[in-house]
Amino acid sequence: MNPPSITRLILANLSKDLRLEWRSRDVFNSMLFFALLVVVIFSFAFEPTTEEARRMTGGLFWVAFLFSTIVALNQSWARELRNGVLDAYRASPAASESLFFGKCFGNFIFVAMLECLMVPLFVLFYNLSAVGSLRQLAVVLLLGTWALVVNGTFFSAMSIRTRNRELMLPLLLLPVAIPAVVSMVKATTGILTGEFSPGAHIKFLAAYCVVFTAACFMLFDLVLNAE
Amino acid sequence: MNTKLYRFLVLVVLAVLSYGTYMALVTAPTEETMGDAQRIFYYHVPAAVTAYTMFFINFVASILYLWKRSRVADTLAHACAEVGLVFATVVLITGPIWAHFAWGSWWAWDMRLTTFLVLWLLYLSYLVLRQSAEPGTSSVLASALAVIAFLDVPFNYLANRLFSTIHPPPVTLTAPMMKITLSVNMLAFMAFGALIAWFRYELGKTEHSITKLHLKKAAGGAGFAVLLPALFLFQVSDSPLSEEMRTAHARSHMMGGYIATWAIYIGYLLVLAMRVRRLQQEGAELLGK
Repeated sequence: MNPPSITRLILANLSKDLRLEWRSRDVFNSMLFFALLVVVIFSFAFEPTTEEARRMTGGLFWVAFLFSTIVALNQSWARELRNGVLDAYRASPAASESLFFGKCFGNFIFVAMLECLMVPLFVLFYNLSAVGSLRQLAVVLLLGTWALVVNGTFFSAMSIRTRNRELMLPLLLLPVAIPAVVSMVKATTGILTGEFSPGAHIKFLAAYCVVFTAACFMLFDLVLNAE
Repeated sequence: MNTKLYRFLVLVVLAVLSYGTYMALVTAPTEETMGDAQRIFYYHVPAAVTAYTMFFINFVASILYLWKRSRVADTLAHACAEVGLVFATVVLITGPIWAHFAWGSWWAWDMRLTTFLVLWLLYLSYLVLRQSAEPGTSSVLASALAVIAFLDVPFNYLANRLFSTIHPPPVTLTAPMMKITLSVNMLAFMAFGALIAWFRYELGKTEHSITKLHLKKAAGGAGFAVLLPALFLFQVSDSPLSEEMRTAHARSHMMGGYIATWAIYIGYLLVLAMRVRRLQQEGAELLGK
């Protein structure tokens, strides 16, 4: 019998994650509630007018997602620790990259669904209307989410190997994510206010995604099997 | 550890550092617009260059560790990250002190300042990971993080490129004497950093294998290293600076920067000395049993 291809392994991992999430819904519900709370608290804290809101929303939006992504990512590997699933992965002959990308795609789907639900809420609470093109906004959302998810999945795999598991993920992820967050926020602000073109930031974000996906891909095996 | 060589090098570095400090504080011509506050430059820039060098060595050693799994590379990477962070802290403290005098504000969200701050945060997270990872896994995890952190640096620089920079360009020195002073100080601080890193590396090695022999040597070096910066504070207090001071303001910034710088260096050396003591106690207990 031929060994299954990497695509099939990724799909198997992904469908397992989705099925687990569909049955328990614990990650998605807590992530959604958390993001909702962040949006509400931000709007109480800043009370923005429409013109101010356009300038601020880029930042608020991505900070809310960054925090909710951290909530989701902590759960995504922690559930593999129960019943020694992670050890089973290590012992299995399947390529560890398939596990990594399966997790990445799974987390990407969760966070993307969260964004689809939260964008209308942002529009509602902050009376938003974008001046720039919505197509560009979609590209920024996709690239930004991938940048957060790929690094986040990698660092949460790293942080479960440490003593203070949940606490460690933001400490590792946030410094590395700063350049990505800067460009996401700038691109989003550029699109919402129409004051400057977001083109350079989108290209930058794409380059960031490529480089860090490659780096995480190459280093994941070492992190998973670290002894 | 070659104790004789180490002590000899400590003496050499001590001499170069004293000479460099003397030049920076006394013989270098006073800058026209910024007065004595400009002298912060002579310990700000060398610290920045040393920090960058240390982080680069950390990156190379981490790759080497992931590739060859050599214990030496891992210990070296850890030592360089820690010493680099100390020098980076000096940069982040002397910078604002100068900025407060020159710009009127402690901090500006400027390209270079932001990049350096993020660099500092990255290596702080590296050391936090080192500390909290399970003993067996910490080397691999930290090396992987070091690679990612180093990849992050150019992105950081690019991401902040759009902030307009008010940081002065790398070299603003006009008089040839200023350039010479900077070169001497650059050499002195690089050597100082290398020496501490070497000591920290030996300490790391000792932590791996606690033996009495190693500890004796390490302790001798630490005593010397702690004495070294203390001499400089003494030297400053009775140097003929007060006559050339043009404004008390510029002077207080220069002195503040200087004291902060050495407070950090000495603080770090004290931490190292405490670590040596703890290791000695551990070693003694091990041998006692």
